Amino acid sequence: MAEHAWILAAVPGIAFIVMAAFGRNLPRQGDWLAVLCAASIFALFFAVLANFLNLGESAWPVLNSIEWTAIGDFHLRMGIAVDPITIVMLAVITTVALMVNIFSVGYMKGEPRYWWYFAVLQLFVASMLMLVLADNLLLLYVAWELVGLSSFLLIGHYWERRSAVEAAKKAFITTRVGDVGLLIGIILFWDATGTFNILEITEYVEQGAIGDTRLFVTMMFILLGAMGKSAQLPFHVWLPDAMEGPTPVSALIHAATMVVAGVYLVARMLPVFELAGDALTVVLVVGLLTALFSGVVAFAQTDIKKVLAYSTVSQLGFMFVALGAGYVSAGMFHLFTHAFFKALLFLGAGAVIIGTHHHQEMGQLGGLWRKMPVTAATFLIGSLALAGLFPLAGFWSKDEILHAVEGVGSWAFFLLAIAAIMTAFYTTRLFVRTFLGKPQDEEVASHSREPGLVMTLPLVFLAFMSIVAGFFIFHGFGNALGFPGGFGEFLHGGKPFHVDWGLVGLSTALFVIGTFGGAWFYWNGRVDRSTVLAEWQPKVYEMIQRKFYFDDLYQFFIDRVVLGFSYLVSWFDRFAVNDTGVDGTASMTHYTGFLLKHLQTGRVPNYAMAIAVGVIALALVSLAVGG
Amino acid sequence: MVPMENYLVLSGIIFSLGVYGVLARRNAVLVLMSVELMLNAVSLNFVAFAAYLDPDKATGIVFAVFVIAVAAAEVGLALAIVIRLFRNRSTANVDEAATMRW
Repeated sequence: MAEHAWILAAVPGIAFIVMAAFGRNLPRQGDWLAVLCAASIFALFFAVLANFLNLGESAWPVLNSIEWTAIGDFHLRMGIAVDPITIVMLAVITTVALMVNIFSVGYMKGEPRYWWYFAVLQLFVASMLMLVLADNLLLLYVAWELVGLSSFLLIGHYWERRSAVEAAKKAFITTRVGDVGLLIGIILFWDATGTFNILEITEYVEQGAIGDTRLFVTMMFILLGAMGKSAQLPFHVWLPDAMEGPTPVSALIHAATMVVAGVYLVARMLPVFELAGDALTVVLVVGLLTALFSGVVAFAQTDIKKVLAYSTVSQLGFMFVALGAGYVSAGMFHLFTHAFFKALLFLGAGAVIIGTHHHQEMGQLGGLWRKMPVTAATFLIGSLALAGLFPLAGFWSKDEILHAVEGVGSWAFFLLAIAAIMTAFYTTRLFVRTFLGKPQDEEVASHSREPGLVMTLPLVFLAFMSIVAGFFIFHGFGNALGFPGGFGEFLHGGKPFHVDWGLVGLSTALFVIGTFGGAWFYWNGRVDRSTVLAEWQPKVYEMIQRKFYFDDLYQFFIDRVVLGFSYLVSWFDRFAVNDTGVDGTASMTHYTGFLLKHLQTGRVPNYAMAIAVGVIALALVSLAVGG
Repeated sequence: MVPMENYLVLSGIIFSLGVYGVLARRNAVLVLMSVELMLNAVSLNFVAFAAYLDPDKATGIVFAVFVIAVAAAEVGLALAIVIRLFRNRSTANVDEAATMRW
């Protein structure tokens, strides 16, 4: 089954075609088909997993490819490669996709273009699975663009709203800047090795087929693509705006799966990154800056989804840090656990939005735990997992990352610890301001109620996963489930995990500082205490609230430089190309014709005279020249 | 034997007369006759060259025969045009047929 894992991608692909074509006419607009499709790939994943584990480590990675096309001696093969990294991604995608599909049935009820929403969701799942299964960079790039397209379509689902259209455009164009880099990187690889196959490229590089400088440049281009997709500084601007899309979409695409495609790509190419000089240091620094930056910005956001979005950017930064330190297992482990608790938090935010009839400003919420106990409880679990409470999922993966950067240097460790404290701090703020204290807006509170089972069940399941997902790190836990040991050993035959109690103590301390600091700061405040900073240092607060002016800077750049240059080009086109080149030729011809038409007298003797004179002239010329 | 130059000079004179006729005459029939003169001058040229330069082969003579045949056809066509012109305009003056202009 593992060698036929492509079926996983084919099922939602077919579902998309069926639903896009007939979804509107199906009973219930085809939502049952979406859930059925998600459930079947969830089941199929376990078949793949069982077979994969049965084959044993000697058979990894499981390969299967067909010849796509041949140009001369060049044979382009397309296929799949299933290795432990792929399996982890498959687990995340199929699980979260199922939960989100079920949740969406409740969340999107009565929304416009219900059928189209589910159809595009299947397109996204199909392309995302194709992305992680691809054994070559070309297929990966195709899938990479397809997930970008589905993300664009889903962010812009409410296209009647101008802000949604702007956000969709922004997401597409911003990631596109990175995608161009990825494409250049792929072409550079092909130019140097003559293949797109990731394993072959890795082998070539290990044999030293690419010069040092060139390899470094190539990897920077690949990293550019990864940074665009994973919303790393300075490409992060699109992700918070992407919250314009329906909330389950934010959970699936903008928290659990698509945005980690960049992390996946770096993890997949890590053996190459390791050989490419300082490339990994760049990855580390980018991740560190992103983690710190978005941790700070998350303070001053008042929309619960925006807080979660910046939190996602920050956690993606953590993953990049782990990869930059050279630890695939730590980065992938955080990806794994983060997918569950962040999807849980986003779906929880969705439940809040539905429960309060579309209120998502923290200033209007508060005290919701009485009205929505299940949502509040699961949200609390998700928050604690994100903040890093022992022994929830986020604790173990964050611990692994801290452990990974220990080897890099104390400066990195110190900065990451600060980022971890900030994570706990803004998460506490989010929970306290939304669920605890007194309702800020009685009107909103009185109408709030718990959403139905179709929405709370996925929350409960994801809350369960947020608790247990971290235990995969343990040798015994993995063994009991049939894995060759814990997460680290599964991923690259590493050493069994041992609890480093010093580190556990430290990260618990970080959690306590952040959480209790946040709780003390925000508990029961009728006003957002973040505004304390606004009174004390208004300039600093404004800077944070305006996201360190990144958006303003880009807007300025687009307004002045891009549009200015466009104006110049359009002027050149209008005056030089159109008026002079095209219209100029036409009017020249016209005017010449106007002058020459007088030669046509219509009198035969004139023509005869012209012929005679011409002949005589030619004769004279030939005499003079030819002698 | 008469030197070849004599034939060529004669042919040149006849051709020039033809050109003069085509340019100077206004009557279409006379223009046609002048064209015939030019054709005959050319034929004469062909025959002269054939006789003097390459007596064994009859290349030039064959050309002359062709020219005569083409001239006959041309006269047939041209006279028909002249007749149509005369029917329409009641004149054979070529200056009158000047409507093919801008």
